[in-house]
Amino acid sequence: MKTKSKFAGMVMLLLVFALSACSGGSNGTNGGTASSNPDASKPSQEASTGSDQKEPVTIDFMGHGNPNEKKIFEKLIASFEEKYPHVTVKYTSVPPGEYSQKMTTLISSGKVPDVFYVGGPEFYRFAEAGTLLNIQSYLDQTSLFNPDNVWKQAMDRYRFDGSKVGEGDLYGLPKDVGPWAFVYNKDLFDNAGVSYPSAKAGEWTWDDMLEAAQKLTVDNNGDGKPEQYGVGAYSLESAVWGNGGEYIDYATGTVKVNEPAFYEAMQFVADLNLKFKVSPNQEAEQAMNAYTRFINGQLGMFAMGPWDQPAFWELPFAWDIAAWPASPNTGQTATWLGSMGFAVSAKSKHPQEAFDLAAFLSLDEQGQRENYQLGQAVPNLINMAEGEFKEMDKGPQTRQVFLDIIQDYGRPNVIAFSKDTQWMDTFNQNASKVWNGEMSAKDFTAQIQPKMQELYDKGNK
Amino acid sequence: MGTKLGGYRRRELAWLYLFVAPPVLGFLLFGLVPILFSIYISFHKWDMLSDPQWAGLANYKDLLGDEKVYKSMYNTIYLMIGIPIGMVLSMLLAILMNRKFTGISFMRTIYYLPVISPIIAVSLLWQWILNQDYGLLNNFLWETFGIAGPNWLGKPEWVKPSLILIGLWSGIGGNMVLYLAGLQSISSTYYEAAEIDGAGAWHKLTRITIPLLTPIHFFVVVMGIIGAFQSFSQIYVLAVDGGPEYSGATVVYYIFQHAFQYFNMGYASAVAWVLGILIFVVTLIQFKLSNRWVYQD
Repeated sequence: MKTKSKFAGMVMLLLVFALSACSGGSNGTNGGTASSNPDASKPSQEASTGSDQKEPVTIDFMGHGNPNEKKIFEKLIASFEEKYPHVTVKYTSVPPGEYSQKMTTLISSGKVPDVFYVGGPEFYRFAEAGTLLNIQSYLDQTSLFNPDNVWKQAMDRYRFDGSKVGEGDLYGLPKDVGPWAFVYNKDLFDNAGVSYPSAKAGEWTWDDMLEAAQKLTVDNNGDGKPEQYGVGAYSLESAVWGNGGEYIDYATGTVKVNEPAFYEAMQFVADLNLKFKVSPNQEAEQAMNAYTRFINGQLGMFAMGPWDQPAFWELPFAWDIAAWPASPNTGQTATWLGSMGFAVSAKSKHPQEAFDLAAFLSLDEQGQRENYQLGQAVPNLINMAEGEFKEMDKGPQTRQVFLDIIQDYGRPNVIAFSKDTQWMDTFNQNASKVWNGEMSAKDFTAQIQPKMQELYDKGNK
Repeated sequence: MGTKLGGYRRRELAWLYLFVAPPVLGFLLFGLVPILFSIYISFHKWDMLSDPQWAGLANYKDLLGDEKVYKSMYNTIYLMIGIPIGMVLSMLLAILMNRKFTGISFMRTIYYLPVISPIIAVSLLWQWILNQDYGLLNNFLWETFGIAGPNWLGKPEWVKPSLILIGLWSGIGGNMVLYLAGLQSISSTYYEAAEIDGAGAWHKLTRITIPLLTPIHFFVVVMGIIGAFQSFSQIYVLAVDGGPEYSGATVVYYIFQHAFQYFNMGYASAVAWVLGILIFVVTLIQFKLSNRWVYQD
């Protein structure tokens, strides 16, 4: 049955192509022009809904994610197909680890899905190679979309001006925004008689955090391996940026890890274990990672993204999120704000429908609602995030923190603006020398900076 | 020759080519073409998205100055320590298994089992066994000997020994079977003659068994070295991102990273070719040396 209908669909498609090829001169054909020059192709003049005389169209859509995410998207796609009866969506979900490989292979063999996920370095590589459709003109015409109601911080990730990411026309729409938040176990704080971290940025500093962590670190049997730690997997990005440091200055392409603001912050994070013993060391981390410790109620402070909510809802203890501790040197705090996006292939034969799908998945109210209710993300729509999302009665209580990160102190991941990530990988591969105390952060960063610079220049300039 | 083939013979030949064609075509299409293409691409920069750009010898030059190439090469050669250890163990095992007692085929099966177990599943099991805090191995060491075991997969200096250990466990069975075959092809007349001359067990082992097994030794060494140069899967599972301080990454893992994480296909191809030539040269040397020590009757 299924193959039969597929076959019928293909025959129909062929007929449609034959017909549209004959009707030359009409204004908005979806065929060849789009693939040869995506920038020049204008969206079709017809309204996206309403007319029943539509040619049936099949859109390939590829993404990745956990089973939850897959279920949500299957639902979303079903409601899209209801709204656009002439469009059939073929949805493929691959394991996240294989996604980048699979996508690149598909692109190089010319079988790009019409709509697909892009994020960070991939977006840069794909946009630069001309794989992605410039959707600016489609956006300007759609009625689905009010740009003022979508997080600018998320949209800007998908701008590309021909050489740089972050500026220029839009080549993608956000699938989500992922504020990396500071989470703490309220029960442990209560038991130790420590007051909660503040949800307001700048009020709670590294020193406060350290003091709390010291009270929360417990070694009952005295074997030198605490059963309960104060803080785990403390974000180096947060420390560095909060301290006024930078990994890199993307404007000039200079790696800046060897500057004091950077290595001081790195030393602080390393000392949480080395000097103060309030954080698991590398070996302990490898034996049981901070996530497991937190879930087990053996870790006072940790980090989470919105996608961790479903798992955390099951926890037997109370928890909440707070602002990341601020650097006492600057009084500032920061963290990273992740994002994944939807892009449309420059070679799509049906750019209008593909765009409609991407916009629907990104911005449809019902879809966004379902998504946040299942604890997958913060809504892309600002009024929804600030309204019903914030009022939601499931943890974390202080949902404003997520919104603060998006609006105020969240920053793109370090590698979001570089297409080749070897320079950061080399840093991470060797940073254990600092984490295990073999080298000071100052010496290490001085030693690694030239290597990182060389790799960055080679891969990105 | 000039002799004309008869119709029957010609038809026979046609059938022959027809039957031979699928594997040959398969090799040409999926073996030779990619191999030749990788030579071409190793002189280019190619990210798989845009067209390859001519780079001349740049990839090969970069490779010479790339410390990670040397590091991963060092790791790869380090892992070869496992080959002689594995040879001794699997030969001893084969000698033990080369007798007749009830349950012998059961025993042989047990030792062969790791060879047919899927490597990814096995690696995941080992990851659990080698865990520092709650792994089986360290618990055993602690409870039996009172030794606090190291962080096998977490410390740069322990990653490679761990990998060798796993390699031994999964490789011994295969070599054992080879040695068994070798043992069984040794004629018992040698041993009988030696016994008459008054040779003990030790002399029989060192003067008859081991020398007559040299063709097997040779095969095991050659295959072992080629296999070690190509090791990848265990590394991929057990040493995430090359392991701590890149201490577990092999050359093939490095090639994989460049090809499918950084999408530097040109560079990956260049490293792959250098590796390929290296394997070829090493194997050639082994063959040249073999007539000095391999006993052929």
